[in-house]
Amino acid sequence: MKLELRNISKSFGEKEVLKYISFSAESGKAFGLLGRNGAGKTTTIRILMHVFPADNGAIFLDGKPMDRQEVQIGYLPEERGLYPKKKIIDQLVYFSQLKGLSRADAIRSIDYWLDRLKMTEYRNKRLDTLSKGNQQKIQLITAIAHDPQIVILDEPFSGLDPVNAMLLKDVVKEEIAKGKIVLFSSHQMSYIEEFCDSIAILNGGQVVLRGDLHDIKRNYVRDRLIVRSEHMEKILSDLGDCCDRREEGDLIIRLASTEDKQAMMRTLTEKYDIDEIKVFEPSLNDIFVEYAEQQN
Amino acid sequence: MKQFKTILAFELKYYFKNKIFVGITLFLVALIAVLMFFPRAKELLGKDTEDAKSEEAAVMLIAAGSSEDADSVKTAFTSAFPDYEVRVADGDLNSIKEQITSGDAECAFVMESPASYVYYVNNLSMYDGNTAIADEVLRNLCQANAMVEKGISPDEAGSILSVQIEHETASLGKDQMQNFFYTYIMIFALYMVILLYGQMVATNVATEKSSRAMEVLITSADPTSMMFGKVLASCLAGLIQLIVVFGSGFLLFNLNKSYWADNMVINSIFDMPLSLLIYMLVFFILGFFIYAFMFGAIGSTASKLEDINTSTMPVMLLFIIGFMVVVYSMSGGGVDSTLMKICSFVPFTSPMAMFTRIAMSTVPFYEIALSIAILILSTAGIGILSAKIYRVGVLLYGTTPKISSVLKSVLRA
Repeated sequence: MKLELRNISKSFGEKEVLKYISFSAESGKAFGLLGRNGAGKTTTIRILMHVFPADNGAIFLDGKPMDRQEVQIGYLPEERGLYPKKKIIDQLVYFSQLKGLSRADAIRSIDYWLDRLKMTEYRNKRLDTLSKGNQQKIQLITAIAHDPQIVILDEPFSGLDPVNAMLLKDVVKEEIAKGKIVLFSSHQMSYIEEFCDSIAILNGGQVVLRGDLHDIKRNYVRDRLIVRSEHMEKILSDLGDCCDRREEGDLIIRLASTEDKQAMMRTLTEKYDIDEIKVFEPSLNDIFVEYAEQQN
Repeated sequence: MKQFKTILAFELKYYFKNKIFVGITLFLVALIAVLMFFPRAKELLGKDTEDAKSEEAAVMLIAAGSSEDADSVKTAFTSAFPDYEVRVADGDLNSIKEQITSGDAECAFVMESPASYVYYVNNLSMYDGNTAIADEVLRNLCQANAMVEKGISPDEAGSILSVQIEHETASLGKDQMQNFFYTYIMIFALYMVILLYGQMVATNVATEKSSRAMEVLITSADPTSMMFGKVLASCLAGLIQLIVVFGSGFLLFNLNKSYWADNMVINSIFDMPLSLLIYMLVFFILGFFIYAFMFGAIGSTASKLEDINTSTMPVMLLFIIGFMVVVYSMSGGGVDSTLMKICSFVPFTSPMAMFTRIAMSTVPFYEIALSIAILILSTAGIGILSAKIYRVGVLLYGTTPKISSVLKSVLRA
């Protein structure tokens, strides 16, 4: 399955929230939708969920316009919340029934997921008696209990302790392995890097970067060197403006062009006592900061 | 449609699991049961004490200048006050006062002349009508005496003074006296149920919004189904509550019917014609829907529960003003005034105003049909509009938006 958004745009009044965005996600792979607050992620997801229509563009599934009646989507919204005063099993059954499951199927699936997420003991409790992390696990069940083909998870790891985060990681990996399209939206880049094969970065309502994460990293201009040495002070003063100390405790050297790479490496190893030298490969965090900061 | 049913069942369950809802219903039924069984219980428990009481009737003292005068007044009062034991007082004014304050006598008439007296009583009750009766009796006495002095025989004087006028009233339309009570009860029930449930719909929507359950709901279900499901559920809950309360009232009344035979008010309430009950149902459902839709739309624009009270104010005021107009017209007897006629066609007031006119006056059928048609059309219109407002409103967080900006977004959506 392939989910494609083509030239989606949306305005609220005078404010243009999305400007002709396009990206595609494939089943069996996770897709990361990134962007700063207000970049248009939630609006994109809401259009996908058919909460409101797009002004322009269309959504395709396997090349055909997507029919929301036919396709099941599971959604874990960033703004969490269910009915605090109601019994957990009651509201989970309600949400699953709204998504088309019969009562018996809903109960069967929910009991499976409660067990899978180690939440069975809370089945008949009221939601507001649970801790925040546990409430979040309950909310996750509303997104996946009806076995949707597309799963959208908005900040799924926020508020989870490391054990629960691990559990959720396993669940997400299972969902991906089942051949579902998993759409991630998160500010925690380490998780995106761990799961997502391809990403799209939104900025100011536009897709500023999209594609396969490995390709993006490989195609990144290799014009910076990372150096670790006993003589970092000396290198810093010798090289001047093109050299900076990084938070990680090493130095980053910006080259005028990629051709200077070999020459610079040679010079450094000859002149100073070098522990380590390598070409700088940006982390997703670096890429995100660079692209999300532009134009603002 | 399947979604709508799921929503309806879920929302209805919310009312039936709500302790306050169940509590109020049971309380009302219990209250009616106590009221309806009251005469029967009184008769069972109070038979002995009541008999004893009637043997010891309250004492009324008469004092006059001469014992002849006192006797004639006593004779007249004995027949005029059957509940009292009328005695001629022996002793002076102070002893009379003493007897009253000590409770030996309830009241005393001290005659200063045949046409003037002082009425002594310990605590003057709000409903004490003794002086009015005494005035009437004494006037008759004076007039009869005067006639006798002019040479008319006492018998003739008696017959002249006791001419009775007989009259009968034949109402060709409705008897407002008889219909007043049940119309009043119905209007009041309508008023209570709409305000109570309207607020509940608004709070329900705002709670979903503020707890962010809306994020999941809006992406799982069609907003129009959500709105209509909620409103229909609250309407059914209200209707079921009314049926339980009035139904048990009707049942309990029939169990105790013989004990209520003399009570015109209670009898008139349970003697409501079926056609009126059907009109009541029609106006109740439509009136309920039109307000519940508005309350639902308002609830969807509020971002905090605390905002509900202020945002629902305009709708509440509209409704309360309508209620006031109807109740004042009812008690003033002017149910066919121009104001009421206008109100009975305006969709927000017609459920109450038109129902009152049907119950208490004679309204041509085409007027009723027109009023209901206007009401149905505007209810449908408001239903669609409020579903649109709901769709837009539930996604607006932050400060409560202005009406104009909501309407703008609705038009765009």
